[in-house]
Amino acid sequence: MGQSRTLQVAAGLGAILAWIIIWAWLTRPGGPVPTLYFPAPDDVWAKFVRMWQRPYIGSTLPDHILASLYIVLTGWGLAALVGIPLGIAMAWWKRLKWIVFPTFQLIRPVPPLAWIPLTILWLGIGDSARISVVFIAALVPWLMNSMLAVYSVDRLLLDAARTLGANDRQILARVVCRTALPTLVAAARMALGNAWSTLVAAEILAATAGLGYVAVNASQLLDTDVLLVAMFMIGILGICMTGLIGLTQNWLAPWSVLGARRD
Amino acid sequence: MIERRLERMGVMTDRGKAAAYGIFSLSVLLALWICATSLFQWIEPRVLPSPAQVIRQFAWIITEPFSGLRLPGHILFSLERWGWGVLTAGLVGIPVGVFFAWNPWFKTFLNPVFELIHFIPPFAYIPLAVLWFGASTATQAMVVFVAAFPAIVINSQLGVAQVQKIYIDAARVFGASPFRTLCRVVLPAAAPSIYTGLRIAISNGWMALVGAELVVGKVGLGFMIAQGQENASVATIFVGVITIGCLGVLIDTLVQRSERYVLPWRRVAS
Amino acid sequence: MEQSAGKMAPGTTNPAQEAPAKLELRNISKWFGPVGEGVHAVDDCSIEVKNGEFIVVVGPSGCGKSTLMTVGAGLEAPTHGEVLVDGRPAGPPGPTRSVVFQKFALFPSETVEQNIKFGLQMTGVSAAEQETRLAEQLKIMGLELFRKSYPSELSGGMQQRVAIARALVMQPEILLMDEPFGALDAQTRTILQEEVQRLHREKHYTVLFITHSVEEAVYLGDRVVVMTKRPGRIKKVIDLPRDVVWKTGDIELAAEHPEFIEFRREIWGLVREEIVSI
Repeated sequence: MGQSRTLQVAAGLGAILAWIIIWAWLTRPGGPVPTLYFPAPDDVWAKFVRMWQRPYIGSTLPDHILASLYIVLTGWGLAALVGIPLGIAMAWWKRLKWIVFPTFQLIRPVPPLAWIPLTILWLGIGDSARISVVFIAALVPWLMNSMLAVYSVDRLLLDAARTLGANDRQILARVVCRTALPTLVAAARMALGNAWSTLVAAEILAATAGLGYVAVNASQLLDTDVLLVAMFMIGILGICMTGLIGLTQNWLAPWSVLGARRD
Repeated sequence: MIERRLERMGVMTDRGKAAAYGIFSLSVLLALWICATSLFQWIEPRVLPSPAQVIRQFAWIITEPFSGLRLPGHILFSLERWGWGVLTAGLVGIPVGVFFAWNPWFKTFLNPVFELIHFIPPFAYIPLAVLWFGASTATQAMVVFVAAFPAIVINSQLGVAQVQKIYIDAARVFGASPFRTLCRVVLPAAAPSIYTGLRIAISNGWMALVGAELVVGKVGLGFMIAQGQENASVATIFVGVITIGCLGVLIDTLVQRSERYVLPWRRVAS
Repeated sequence: MEQSAGKMAPGTTNPAQEAPAKLELRNISKWFGPVGEGVHAVDDCSIEVKNGEFIVVVGPSGCGKSTLMTVGAGLEAPTHGEVLVDGRPAGPPGPTRSVVFQKFALFPSETVEQNIKFGLQMTGVSAAEQETRLAEQLKIMGLELFRKSYPSELSGGMQQRVAIARALVMQPEILLMDEPFGALDAQTRTILQEEVQRLHREKHYTVLFITHSVEEAVYLGDRVVVMTKRPGRIKKVIDLPRDVVWKTGDIELAAEHPEFIEFRREIWGLVREEIVSI
């Protein structure tokens, strides 16, 4: 099993290398793809190194990254603070669910992005407009999955705990919270995914720093290489963040990843 | 109190109760909105228009051209771009997903490109699409494609990979060739999963379309919202947002309802 | 090759001692994964199924009974040994050997009638012929009212009837049944067991039947092959009397017959040894 795993990784890396070679060949000087439309890999790398040290439209690349991270994590965190308790409360007291859910259902089908113009009008183009849009985008998965997490606790387990002599508080701590944890981790990941992708769009529309802002400016200035650096950074940061949450799951709820680990 | 009275009338089920609560809470919300705007004017109409203003704006956009087109025109343009994007994503995505599951080497080779599309949010493709295609239908369609494609590939692949070996064995026992096994056994068995993928793709695509239209274009619902922001007309934004939301729900409902006709054997859930 | 086992007269089993067996598994061994390293499912098993004979293989769960079936059907190649039909190497799966699977394996996207016709369409039987054979099978299995239903709309028992019909419609020379009633509830199982018994009595199909139920083995089998636990070897072969009264009636009545009880005790003793031994 270990051997075939190594082979898989090697083949994967080989494929990436193959694509970089294809990319370099297509964009070579005098090649079929003009660099205005798609820059060569070495140009992108050079631009990446340069942007890391020197400011591009106001800030260096690390500062743009931090600006994006600041907004996304604030919006995501605020959404968690509202979404988790509200979701759990809605699952616990059905009257609350009956009252809140219809409004929520009304807002849900509207793409979070559609709120951007409204928030810009209401809050200006400062951080708060972007944070609130990210908040809306992250709230839906947080709330829905927190609700689901409570519902997903098997009634049989509750009965089993009760017959084993657990009281309500012990049941909540040992059974409900622990069985709900994996769903909550999934919620965190989904919320962050939504938040990140919405933030990019928000930054394209209204920002003074951040990766989306870099991307849209690069596009207007026809700096394709900068645009690609920004896109890659957006992708890589997204992978890193969801990966980190995946690691927390290993640590917080190891029983839920056993199946995944057995390969 | 309402609840108790209805209970006495004997028409109150749990579902009815939920609906009653829902209607009650939504009416409170509406009442608050009316109070805050037209009745007591706690909030300036510039910031939050009254329901009447929004309805008037709706009527106005339906009857009078807004930026050259009436509301149905904007809707049609949005639907066209969205349609092209989703259609291409389906035509490319389903075969790719099926082959990903069928042949691991094919998957290994194409995976880097797929992950690039999968992990970079669709909106990050907007600047690139603008640079490549300018302000044309292709720009928005490309963003929709990027948003829709991964869900289709992943679910098609999953569907094919999950086909139980016993069905393939059964097909072999009764003399089916690999190609016929694929067409008559594997694809139908994977169809529910492929359908789920399409459904996710369709709604992802709709979300992405709005984003793309906000940034670039001279028509469409997203453009309408952006125009509302430009003119500081919150009522116009409301009209756009409501239309987008309703169309999203409508499309999703249609897709959901159509499943039982497209995949009739799913009528009875197993 | 389209000759039906069902057209065989009951008396033809006697000269079969000279003729090669209808289906023969000769010294079958099967390893999953590399030999000596992977799972050794079956070890040196030989089974002969003569024309019109009903052979039941019984053994503890996980003993490689089903492996024997997949090898016999040609779905898996044996690591050692060979599968012969009429004394000739059997080759890939084909319409001469039809299979009834434990979990039915009905194609969920096809109606009852499409499922039954599947094999006929794959082997290029003419449309008219397809319809006649379909109608015949629907009648035999009592499925006429369900021909347009999807499998998910049927009960487990009905689904297995469809699976049996799908196998029989091919007019196979050999019928392989892999714990066909294992996934059914007790009542449905009883009814289908009686039905299969009746079918075999009337049409003299050549059957290799896998089960873990000793009772089923005694009731249905002309011969019972008892297997050891993994790696599965043949522990003992027991000949059962044919054409006795208790085999022609209800299974409930049969189970009270002293002879039945004696056989059941003997076979269960053999299987039990395998389950409890470490």
